[in-house]
Amino acid sequence: MRRRSFLRAAAGAVVLSAAPGVAFGAVRPGRRVYVVVLDGLRPDEVGPSLTPHLVALQGEGTYFPRARSLPVMETIPNHVMMMTGVRPDRTGVPANSVYDRLQGAVRTMDRASDLRFPSVLERLPALGSRTGTVLSKEYLYGVFGTRASYRWEPAPVLPVTGHAPDVFTSQALRAMVDSADPDLVFVNFGDCDRVGHSDVTGSVARSVAVRSADAQLGSFVTHLRETGRWERSVLVVLADHSMDWSLPTALISLQPVLDADPVLRGNVVIAQNGGADLLYWTGSEADRPLAVARMRSVVEAVEGVLSVHEPAWLRLGPEAGDLVAYCRAGWRFSDPKPWSNPIPGNHGHPATSPIPFLIAGGDPVVRKGVVSSAAASTIDVAPTVGALFGLPSPHGDYDGTVRREAIT
Amino acid sequence: MLWTRVTPTSDAVPGSGRGPSVTVGYEVAEDAVFKRVVRRGSATTGPAHDHTVKVDATGLRAGRTYFYRFTFDGHRSPVGRTKTAPTGSVSQLRFGVVSCSNYQAGHFAAYQHLAERGDLDAVVHLGDYLYEYGPGEYGAFRAHQPAREVTTLAEYRMRHGQYKTDPQLQQLHAAYPWIITWDDHETANDAWSGGAENHTEGAEGTWVSRRAAALRAYHEWMPIRFGAGDTIYRRLRFGSLASLSMLDLRSYRAKQGTPGSLTGPDQMAFLRESLLDSDVQWKLVGNPVMFSPLLVPPLPLAVGTALASLTGQSPDGVVLNNDQWDGYSADRRALISLLADNGVRDTVFLTGDIHTSWAFEVPVDAGTYPLSRTVATELVVPSVTSDNIDDLTRTPPRTSSVAVETALMGLNRHLKWAELDSHGYAVLDVRPAEVRMSWYFLADRQRADSPAALAKSVVVPAGTQSIR
Repeated sequence: MRRRSFLRAAAGAVVLSAAPGVAFGAVRPGRRVYVVVLDGLRPDEVGPSLTPHLVALQGEGTYFPRARSLPVMETIPNHVMMMTGVRPDRTGVPANSVYDRLQGAVRTMDRASDLRFPSVLERLPALGSRTGTVLSKEYLYGVFGTRASYRWEPAPVLPVTGHAPDVFTSQALRAMVDSADPDLVFVNFGDCDRVGHSDVTGSVARSVAVRSADAQLGSFVTHLRETGRWERSVLVVLADHSMDWSLPTALISLQPVLDADPVLRGNVVIAQNGGADLLYWTGSEADRPLAVARMRSVVEAVEGVLSVHEPAWLRLGPEAGDLVAYCRAGWRFSDPKPWSNPIPGNHGHPATSPIPFLIAGGDPVVRKGVVSSAAASTIDVAPTVGALFGLPSPHGDYDGTVRREAIT
Repeated sequence: MLWTRVTPTSDAVPGSGRGPSVTVGYEVAEDAVFKRVVRRGSATTGPAHDHTVKVDATGLRAGRTYFYRFTFDGHRSPVGRTKTAPTGSVSQLRFGVVSCSNYQAGHFAAYQHLAERGDLDAVVHLGDYLYEYGPGEYGAFRAHQPAREVTTLAEYRMRHGQYKTDPQLQQLHAAYPWIITWDDHETANDAWSGGAENHTEGAEGTWVSRRAAALRAYHEWMPIRFGAGDTIYRRLRFGSLASLSMLDLRSYRAKQGTPGSLTGPDQMAFLRESLLDSDVQWKLVGNPVMFSPLLVPPLPLAVGTALASLTGQSPDGVVLNNDQWDGYSADRRALISLLADNGVRDTVFLTGDIHTSWAFEVPVDAGTYPLSRTVATELVVPSVTSDNIDDLTRTPPRTSSVAVETALMGLNRHLKWAELDSHGYAVLDVRPAEVRMSWYFLADRQRADSPAALAKSVVVPAGTQSIR
């Protein structure tokens, strides 16, 4: 069996692995594309005071102020959509947290086998390009598995948050570029999101995290300029979702409400995703239609619930269960228990769909100083990356759109 | 919508009911000298329409300037210029924005300045295009005709006819298409669905018949698509860049100070649909009365009384400005929740009515602003001529009002700028990156040749719901 090879970089602090048969250190010509996710950044935080580097990049690229995250507005499904260009009913990854009917448990979608659709991370190498992932969160590292030619395993990972702080991610990103120089690098900076979850609305800590994420972005751009790569680089900078804050008084716990219903009691499992609850009927198949209708009417009546949807209507597959409930702005779900979700910052609901989205870079292919009214979304990243590398569309085509507004 | 009025016989004056039915020809061309005529036709009018002529020129191309003129009995009208709304990807729009043009209070120099700049896509008039009062009742600089408060169809027609004789008003109508809605003075002051502050039931007829007369005259005399049974609230689209929802906040509202709706349920559903439209970036709302919550601090009595006359508040300082959205907080709360719950960006309220200039961020919770989010912005245009604070207090401009503006901004942290003395107009630039509102103030509303100068510009960057 052929094994991945390993490289210690950045004075031994960063360990990178390469797919079997792929070498480190080869400097090759050609275009570079860097997809940089500032996890959980809100578009209204983009401005000269909090994100000066992002604002400077706007002048060197095309900004999409109408951009949105797609359901469910969570980290894993949106990162998967970025790299596949298709919706969760084709990727198999609808949310961070799902109820696994086979396993009989609620779990995180962090297995490489959870992602069923080919991503650009392995489709590009099949054509001779090389790809790399620098993902700060353990579950992202998990779900993308060994698809990329090169990958960094996040380290050191903080307990509780399960992510590597941005300063380490940033170091790993530079090491990845310097020692492997992949054509496409997919990077996630997690601090902004992780601080946002534990923070209260707009506090100093959140502002510091946003500024710090922006500083990492700035230092990466500087690195690309200093190493002579800028003139052939395209940067796609975006968030996977935004963030909404709630007080403990605006908390929705659906499990006790469902369990108070004689028909539903004991037969509904909830996979809680902060601003969205996925509801699974676990009773008999014969009772499902009636039970789902009943679940809907019970849930719709709960204060703080914005809307209830069939997963297919949101382009989510069977993994998302029988119903998806969204909360209103300023609320959060906490299931199965009222104390299950103590964190004030959440996303997953429509209030958290606005995201920043920018395509910039020194590559002449990038349109400079453009702001577009087009409705860009996370799902557009893969088709746009594909177009930049001349990669054919996947089987069944993309669900997303090439953002031609940004490229000449 | 092309508009004119014909006077076929000398006695066929506005409101007279006299004169024959006649047919008027029209031409629409791509050039000012009518070498490339693209539409030609005729329209019939008569005393039943007060000899007004409206032509819905269809089949024109999107985003294009056209010229039009009317012909009657061997005569040609002056040439008007208009422009169709663009479709698809639109990079820029520019609107002139005005409200509160009281003939008796001054000249319409603001209209002339907007006409002369020549670079607008349209003029947005947010209401109080004319006033119902008799001579001297609200301004005495020049006198209203007929010489009494208008209450009947003939009188409303005569008043419209008088406004349309103003050369500066004519000039602005001839220069651009207008997008208009009404506020209260097109019928009577502080109108609501069942009456008005300035209406005496019985002595001035029934409100139902007075309102019907006012609406009929408005329909005849204003260049607006408005057939029987139509609503005046409507939505215009400018490609993917912007929509403009013009509201009617008089016809459906509950009486001021009573619980109830400002918009009525159908218009609220219409507005929700406008704001949730995912095909358009900027959701502009042509909003006759102020949306943002406003607390008024205790003020010197003279100033407080003046401000109260504009806002309907007690001069001693109270929370509620009940002729505006402040008086209908359930409707406002529903809209703020809609914007927050759905992550709607780039909603901008364009507001008139209050005769003064303001720039607000609309907070989810004014009590916790700026820590809580904002969901929209509101930009308020001054009056073209109607009285504001310096006029009402009879103090020189920029004296007594300055402290008031500061106090208002202190108490209302979401209020970013206010100017309570000046008259004029605003120019709204809409681009994918930002909306920019520029306020131009007149030196003297009582001079037809008053200069105007840029006084303030604010920018709403896309996606931020904030004012910079």
